[in-house]
Amino acid sequence: MTEKIIAFFDKMQRVDRRVIYLIVALSIIIPLVIPFNSPTYTEEPTENIYKKIDSFAGQSNKAVLLSFFHDASTMPELFPMEVSVLRHCFERNIKVFTICFTPAAAPLVDYAINTAKENYDVKSGVDYLNFGYKPGALFLPIVLGMGEDISEAVDTDSEGRKIKNLEIMKDIKNYDDMNLVIDFSGSGSALSWVTYARAKFGANVAAGITAVMVADNYPYLQTGQLLGMFRGLKGAAEYEKLVDVFASYESDEYPNGRPFSKEVIKSIEVPITESNITYIDKDTGVVTDTGIPSNYKYKVARIGMNAQSVAHIMIIVFIILGNIGFFVTRKKNDGL
Amino acid sequence: MFEIISNTVAAFFTLSIFSFLYKDNPFYRFAESLLVGVSMGYAIPLVYENAFIPYVYTPIFLGHRFSLIFPAILGILYSFRFSKNLSWLARYPIVFGMGIIGMSVPMSIHSSVLVQMRSAMLPLNTINSVLIFIGTVTILLYFFFSKDHKGVYGKFTNVGVWFMMIGFGASFGYTVMARISLLIGRIQFLVGDWLGFIK
Repeated sequence: MTEKIIAFFDKMQRVDRRVIYLIVALSIIIPLVIPFNSPTYTEEPTENIYKKIDSFAGQSNKAVLLSFFHDASTMPELFPMEVSVLRHCFERNIKVFTICFTPAAAPLVDYAINTAKENYDVKSGVDYLNFGYKPGALFLPIVLGMGEDISEAVDTDSEGRKIKNLEIMKDIKNYDDMNLVIDFSGSGSALSWVTYARAKFGANVAAGITAVMVADNYPYLQTGQLLGMFRGLKGAAEYEKLVDVFASYESDEYPNGRPFSKEVIKSIEVPITESNITYIDKDTGVVTDTGIPSNYKYKVARIGMNAQSVAHIMIIVFIILGNIGFFVTRKKNDGL
Repeated sequence: MFEIISNTVAAFFTLSIFSFLYKDNPFYRFAESLLVGVSMGYAIPLVYENAFIPYVYTPIFLGHRFSLIFPAILGILYSFRFSKNLSWLARYPIVFGMGIIGMSVPMSIHSSVLVQMRSAMLPLNTINSVLIFIGTVTILLYFFFSKDHKGVYGKFTNVGVWFMMIGFGASFGYTVMARISLLIGRIQFLVGDWLGFIK
């Protein structure tokens, strides 16, 4: 029996890496094609961003700036975050600006805005404004300049219009008004906003980052220099749920979305397999079908997290098997 | 129709890149080279349109702000990198850039050193603060190489090593999550957008 186990692990140790790739690929494909409902737990770094943005609702002298500092390679993690934040702003009538400093990000900004605004009656220059691509060499003058006067620092938007003449700029002058900057990147660029916009002007800065960069950015979150942080695909999934549960909620009591509540988010699940946005109260078991179609693009991160969970389980199993195999075969080799 | 064609082209190149997992092949190399070419081809006109025209051509030739000729010349010096004899000229714009970076030093010290130190000096009234305190001190001791890591001192530095190992583990876990997320994104495209199996 022992010999059989040793032979099994011996074989496992020599398994072709391409077999592992295939198993990991299948563990991702199957949950995507056959989705299932798994709970999404929201955490403070994501909730803080939601609460801050939501506090701007309906205020003409408050706005959010989204900085796109990435290319298509990090889209799977960052794009759902961007769409969710834009959707939150459109849903709650919050002014939102976008900017990018890398050429490859320019089409992604348009893509994110077009994806998010499909179901909303919003206008460029009134409800949102894309400052467009600005050369990376101008990052510093623009970030510092926006602390004094945004319309001087940026001058024109992506369509070449003078921004100071646009309706959206009414009551918006500098970081006192555009009081939250969210930097989406697969690098440490959020630190640049912390260094210049926060340290010099006291702007609130948050980061939407790929999971690889999370550990590097935690010290800034812990010190409060980052107001919040979207942590990879998980962060995007959390925000999708927050928007579904609060911002897009409609009732007689709350016709334009309900306020954030820790108790509500803990007790409500939004199943991704339903065709309409549906709330399940975990405490009472009450199911509420809102009748609002559940759009695939607004739950793409939560569907992705299902696959993520299965893939992680597979990887953990491989690590455990690999270690057992290592010790079993070492014992055998030592015995020789 | 356009969407079907564009998705099929994107799927072909995605699969060409994935084919490297089996082994290196001409499809992979073709897709890789095309990516570099397309990125550059896209960036050059965009930079010309959004940097050169509004910040060099328009102000100098239409706005007659001739003082901008000097920074424009400084920028042009970068192109001497390609000349064997005159490549030294490219050092001037680089030096200028380094000077600009120097401007950020005081603010970087504030956000990356002073604020971090302040938050490591909180009262030890929670488990988190105690862990941060022990971790910071023992890791700093580990990087103090003027004393042999032996005896009681060695035991402290060992604790620092454990903290670092936990940190590396967390980093690695997040890296795995990031890489799997990228694969999920591509598979969502292949299986959903291209083949239409995800509804």
